[in-house]
Amino acid sequence: MSSEVINTKRAKQAAAGPYGKVGHALNELDDRLGVAKGGRTFLDKIFPDHWSFMLGEIALYSFVVLLATGVFLTLYYIPSTALTTYHGSYLPLDGQRVTEAYASSVNLSFAVRAGLLMRQMHHWACDIFIGAIVVHMARVFFTGAFRKPRELNWTIGTTLMILAIVNGFLGYSLPDDLVSGTGIRIAYSIILSIPVVGSYLGFLVFGGNFPGTMVIPRFFILHVLIVPALILGLVGAHLFLLVRQKHTQFPGKGRTENNVVGTPMFPVFMAKTTGFLLIVAGVTALLGAFAQINPIWQFGPYEASRISYAVQPDWYMGFLDGALRIWPSWSFHSFGYTIPLEVTVPAVILPGILFNIAYVWPAFERKLTKDFAMHNLLDRPSNRPKRTAAGVAVLALLSMLFIASSTDVIANFFHLPLNQVLWGMRILVILSPFVAYPVTWKICQELRVVEGGGKRKTTNVVTRTAEGEYVATAAPVYVDDVHSELEASEVPTFIVDETDKETGPGTRTVDR
Amino acid sequence: MITTSLKRVGMLTIAGLLLAAPLTFFVAGAGAQGRVVYQTTRKNAGTPNSTNVTTNSSGVVISYGNSAITYNAPSPKLASLGQALFLQNCASCHGTEANGVPANGTSGAYPNLVGLGPATIDFWIESGRMPAADPRAIQAKRRPPRLSSKQAVAIAAWVNSLSPSYPDIPTPNLKNANVSDGAALFALNCAACHTIEGDGDALAQGTYAPSLRNIPAYQVVEAIRTGPGNMPRFTGNLSDFQVRDIVKYVTTEIQHPQNIGGLGLGGLGPVAEGFVGLLLGVGILALVGFWVGERQ
Repeated sequence: MSSEVINTKRAKQAAAGPYGKVGHALNELDDRLGVAKGGRTFLDKIFPDHWSFMLGEIALYSFVVLLATGVFLTLYYIPSTALTTYHGSYLPLDGQRVTEAYASSVNLSFAVRAGLLMRQMHHWACDIFIGAIVVHMARVFFTGAFRKPRELNWTIGTTLMILAIVNGFLGYSLPDDLVSGTGIRIAYSIILSIPVVGSYLGFLVFGGNFPGTMVIPRFFILHVLIVPALILGLVGAHLFLLVRQKHTQFPGKGRTENNVVGTPMFPVFMAKTTGFLLIVAGVTALLGAFAQINPIWQFGPYEASRISYAVQPDWYMGFLDGALRIWPSWSFHSFGYTIPLEVTVPAVILPGILFNIAYVWPAFERKLTKDFAMHNLLDRPSNRPKRTAAGVAVLALLSMLFIASSTDVIANFFHLPLNQVLWGMRILVILSPFVAYPVTWKICQELRVVEGGGKRKTTNVVTRTAEGEYVATAAPVYVDDVHSELEASEVPTFIVDETDKETGPGTRTVDR
Repeated sequence: MITTSLKRVGMLTIAGLLLAAPLTFFVAGAGAQGRVVYQTTRKNAGTPNSTNVTTNSSGVVISYGNSAITYNAPSPKLASLGQALFLQNCASCHGTEANGVPANGTSGAYPNLVGLGPATIDFWIESGRMPAADPRAIQAKRRPPRLSSKQAVAIAAWVNSLSPSYPDIPTPNLKNANVSDGAALFALNCAACHTIEGDGDALAQGTYAPSLRNIPAYQVVEAIRTGPGNMPRFTGNLSDFQVRDIVKYVTTEIQHPQNIGGLGLGGLGPVAEGFVGLLLGVGILALVGFWVGERQ
């Protein structure tokens, strides 16, 4: 062969083999590792793509944003309560004695390029992360996706929510500013209020009495290493179970308990989900760039002698703060001990009950309904009035507790006496579940009998026949409501599996 | 022998001091009538002492203070104008003698203004709280003032002429103020009610700490030195220099905060942040999901 022949395009392609250079390299890899078959299955994996299934993805991708921005923050943050004199670009703090943690957080915001953007993105991503977890959890609950065989994944998800809240609080505490220091003070008091072991536990966590010097380094290592590692591991387990058990789907055309109708992993789902990751990161970046969050330089450093009024925790701790605010000051003293029920009940027992309700709900519902069957099709919430009503009741209670965490802001904003707002919130918190349950139950009952309830209504075309008879015929459904993409269609078969006897056209409907 | 006599001397001295102490107070009280006795300790910062006073030819204090805050007495010439204004605007509640006894009214129904000092009168009028919109309100609201600054000073001059007292109307000089010290003092003394961002907030039983976002410097000094309403009166624990630092912090960083992170979200803190995070953050992303995903 002469050299000019080899240099032609066709000759090059021929030399590279039938799959091209990349294909050849992959072939070599497959010869050694045998990844093609499993990889193909994975790439062909079908995901139902109802929009509500993307709520969990918001949580997942905001967690990715949290990891990325968090790593940036650790490069500049100093987890130490050693005192230093601040000399930086924010003049109102110049010359003040502050902790290294606070000074580094302020410097991170003022002196580090993109530091404030990263800090604000981290904080916004945290608010979005936990918000998306709660919304995702509500979706799973109301559609009955937690039922057999997915109880374990529900348990993992609940644990993830609690860990996310805990880690949010730990991170919120790290800048050691006036507001977060007050939060740590409250957390310490809550730990102290645990009967019998409270004071020992408080000393164990804080390495002595509040505030001490240990708490910031300890919270730091919990926040950046231990809790995130737990979250990462559980997210892995969560997703593994999701893939292993396959996703649930809403009942509909061609969908049964034994199949999954949706789009394949590659290329449709992968493109969608990657785009969604970028959108989550983009929205977080926009919020971080244009909406200020937690301006710690305006709060000043924390000192045990200082306090600011109108201090609230981040939204996900709001229900705890609200419960603490509205609980009457019931405590009793006997045998030389104080039993601080006004802290123990709202801040320890109440969240304990709420989280345990979440944990035991799948078993509770199994027991109640005697339904031990496998469920891959989701419920329409209105078809399960009691479950939906119970869920709404709990959400109503939590929302009212959340609103109660801003009694002072409400009183100030609407020019109401604080004491009346406090009493009003007490009444609303107690009433809310008892109002929400029957109202939701009734709405569900009504919706159950409505044909096509929840769908867009079409017009009725009334025509008069020659005989004078009036006939009403429903107009065809709106173009938007027709989903031709849901019709089973052929997909190319890349690998012919000789053992697979079913040689029909590969459709987007796969068996479980 | 010696010890007993020593004891006797000691006891006599103590008895003498015990007798003398009320006498000195009496003398001091008598002197206060003529507005010439000076406080020499920081116990009453905001009042004149022996070193910082400017008097006129007849020995009446016209101003006192230091490089941080100058307190100016209202001119006695304005007193007659002040009395007329008082009878027009204030006497229906506070009485024609400014003693809190309205005509045909019961004593103690409204505050007695005699001896409160010009700064108090000036603050309540110039912040628009007086004349009161609703005399039965738990707390008078800050409003655009109904009387001019000169009219307020005139009323202060007349009320003060009934029983001269302090503090006079302050003028802070913020030129050399230390905003960093001001920030620290603000966190220690003011943030517990006015919040660390100075927005103010609701207190018990319908009272509230007002927002500090739009208050002129001299009124901040007046409030600190006279303690209007529920607010404590800060005298002994804050020097004029410290008050000036606080005023500097309030009029710069509180009223014009450095919101370098973007929109300040109303300074409501985590409440507003939570709403933005949930409604805008999660909300927009859920809508995007709704757009991208299937809707059947």
